[in-house]
Amino acid sequence: MKYVDAVTDISIADVKVDLMRTAYANDRALLNTFDPRVVLIWSVLFMIVPWLFYDPRPLAAMLAAAFVLAALSQVSKYLLALLLFGQLTNVGFFVVLVPLMGGVVEAVSYLSGNLDPGALGEAVPIVATALERGVSTALTNQEVGIDAVGAVVPFFLKLTIISVISLAVFSAMSPQKISKGLLRLGVPRQLTFAITYGYRMMPLLVEEYHSLINSFRLRSQVPEKQGLLRWRYFLYLLKLSAKAFYPLIFNVAKRARVTVEAMETKGFSHSLGDERSRELRTGGMRIAPRDVTFVSGSLLFVVALGVFL
Amino acid sequence: MSESSIVVEDLTFRYPGGDEPVLRDASLTLGSGAFTAIVGGNGSGKTTLCKTFNGLIPHFFEGAFDGRVTVGGVDTRDSDVAELSKTVGYVFQDFENQLVQSTVRDDVEFAPLNHGLDDYEERATRALETVGLADLGDRFVWELSGGQQHLVALAGVLAMDPDFVVVDEPAAQLDPQNARETYERLRWLHEERDTTIVVIEHHSEFIADYCDQMVLVSDGGVAWKEPVETGLNRLDDLLAHDIHPPQVTQIAADLPADRGTRSDGRYPVTVAEAAGAFPTPAASDRDPRAATDGGARGRSPVTNEDRTVAASQPSADGRGDPLITLDDVGHGYPTLREGYNQVLDGLDLSFYRGDRVALVGANGAGKSTLLRLLTGLESPDEGTVTVMGRDTAETLPEQLADDTVYIHQNPEEMFVEDTVRKDVAYYLRSRGAEGVDDRVDDILDYLDLEHLADRDGRLLSLGQQRRASLGIGLATDPSVVLLDEPTGSLDLQSRREVTGMLEKAESRVETVVVASHDLQLVAEWADRVLVMGDGDVLADASPETVFADPDLLAATGLRPPQVVELSDRFGLDAPVLTADGMVETLTEGR
Repeated sequence: MKYVDAVTDISIADVKVDLMRTAYANDRALLNTFDPRVVLIWSVLFMIVPWLFYDPRPLAAMLAAAFVLAALSQVSKYLLALLLFGQLTNVGFFVVLVPLMGGVVEAVSYLSGNLDPGALGEAVPIVATALERGVSTALTNQEVGIDAVGAVVPFFLKLTIISVISLAVFSAMSPQKISKGLLRLGVPRQLTFAITYGYRMMPLLVEEYHSLINSFRLRSQVPEKQGLLRWRYFLYLLKLSAKAFYPLIFNVAKRARVTVEAMETKGFSHSLGDERSRELRTGGMRIAPRDVTFVSGSLLFVVALGVFL
Repeated sequence: MSESSIVVEDLTFRYPGGDEPVLRDASLTLGSGAFTAIVGGNGSGKTTLCKTFNGLIPHFFEGAFDGRVTVGGVDTRDSDVAELSKTVGYVFQDFENQLVQSTVRDDVEFAPLNHGLDDYEERATRALETVGLADLGDRFVWELSGGQQHLVALAGVLAMDPDFVVVDEPAAQLDPQNARETYERLRWLHEERDTTIVVIEHHSEFIADYCDQMVLVSDGGVAWKEPVETGLNRLDDLLAHDIHPPQVTQIAADLPADRGTRSDGRYPVTVAEAAGAFPTPAASDRDPRAATDGGARGRSPVTNEDRTVAASQPSADGRGDPLITLDDVGHGYPTLREGYNQVLDGLDLSFYRGDRVALVGANGAGKSTLLRLLTGLESPDEGTVTVMGRDTAETLPEQLADDTVYIHQNPEEMFVEDTVRKDVAYYLRSRGAEGVDDRVDDILDYLDLEHLADRDGRLLSLGQQRRASLGIGLATDPSVVLLDEPTGSLDLQSRREVTGMLEKAESRVETVVVASHDLQLVAEWADRVLVMGDGDVLADASPETVFADPDLLAATGLRPPQVVELSDRFGLDAPVLTADGMVETLTEGR
């Protein structure tokens, strides 16, 4: 069962650490060195910019730039791989789906054109011809599918650019910086606190979820017959992972009871209306020349793409 | 420090929605400068009482509040929680959830920032220095050990420079070593900063070592407030509230005809007091060298060869093939900062039928890792682990669980259903066993869980949770029992239940492996002690041999039970391991 363990055990530890590193180790991340407000505004800007382009070439260049940024922000390779896999299979799916739909349409239209409700005896050859025409359409019209892909490529490029940029921003900036920036931009403190608290709790929840799944495993019975490619076994694991959310939610609710009491003793409610507390929290932020260079540089890059490509 | 005190007058409080008041006419004065322990049975109202000090009651829990609480002359009803918390700091029992920011420094700065204090950075620095975590300011809270997290929670409280610090059951969630560390910090605060300390504590040996007065809370009222030496001598009151007196005090009470009393007529409460008060054991029991060399130093140290000999004996005795073998096992985990952390390295071990094994060692020595490897939840990075003839790398944990049960150190992780009854039945039902209801009823009855059977395990008290987790384990009718810190909260109640469960299951159980910090459990129960450290086994021998080697215990940060310390002071050849044994040794002397 070594390969199962490779999936469920060792790699889980590795994936966990890799994700932790993405979310928490930001010391050397490029985006973390800029003023948080600048980065936040910049990322909103670049969520919009891709939609101003249609031609795939500048979009591809932008995507390449986004990947460079992601690399400088130490985004988890697992996350990037997952993202790419999702987008590529999405696009690839069109190559199959479009001719298939064409075949279905062909077959149905042939049927409705030729089938005479009065003469059921002739129905069998007509259906057979319809199927044949449908299948041959589906099998021979790959270029239609590829054309369809061509039509959606810009759309997927835009989505991917936005996803990679937001991954880069949120994995590079420390929670403190994000919430500091947001707070200064006027976002309510309750929300900025929720962000940092989420960061604080996430690793804990991951651990707890893992050990709950383990608890389930030690008390459950694996299906005796594992089936083709062990699908029954994997279905069983899938069911357990869904079941484990239920106790997890209860445990979280229980934790929250102490947390709200503790927040009260730490003067959280007091801080909501306290101007001095807000000033201290958001103090020390300064837009430096390098922030300006970063924003104007990336804008220039986009303008250049628009003009030359 | 300002001259202030906490005064509770005729306080009656009922939680919203509760039928019965939790506090009834409680009155208590805590003057400044004391180090007070608040004791009482489960549900006696200790925690509720302490939550009135910082105004959580009545401001956060708005129940029926009658009476008066003043802190430094201020009626708590006229103030609010945030304001009162500047004077009264509170470290919760569930301290992990008290930490609300992602990094250590942010969390300690949180309260001063909320109050808009300009010197929040200096305050945090000072508080972190006080608890000895100055170097860990940039760490994420979840990277720290439980003991360190507790100290961060304490630092978060100290950042406000409170006059009072209330710590709710530090020894319940921490292992003894970390609990002692916390107590040392509290003692420092008490002595150097004149902070008034209040701890809710079950563990009387900590009370004897650190506190100067104790308060017994019973049935929602304050039964008495006494100096610690007097309080710990009221054995009947303590036992009636499930608080176990220090081992030496119990021994003194069990010795015939007042032979254990001190010259001032009371029982000793610490080892040092006991050594002076108890009769010296008979000469025949004493190590001949002790008389000339003076105590333990005269004994020849246990060498590694001795330990190996002791360890190899069981297998040589013809106990048959080992049930569990670890062959050159190496295992570790990737970490965020330090790369791969090798926890076990080249470990060779065998467990035999009938073994009662105790795994001891400092935190991070690999005790829990070893147990997890035996469950098959993790496969070793190197080497092989064989349990009951099955290679764990080739077997699913579900299949290993046919014969093996693993009881998690945090019972909460074992509750997957919404009632205790369903949780106990889960294993049996998933395996389609027969007569499930009867067997579950038996177990619930045996562990005294019937009245809790239809409650959610998560909402029980820690002791009850532990009992329920034992029930879950017992239901699996195991051959190999793996227990991770079963007496985590160090109380004798849970120790009794653990040994009871093991006896109950004895008909089928073939090997028991317990990872524990609780050396009293180890001394009373184990017949083989594995001392772990540096990724390997440092010693593998009988409890007598391990406890006779103070250097070994010290190297692993373990503190022997009081009877062992006492044996050492008396210069006994072999340490006595139980309180009853010590009573016997001391009476034989006459």
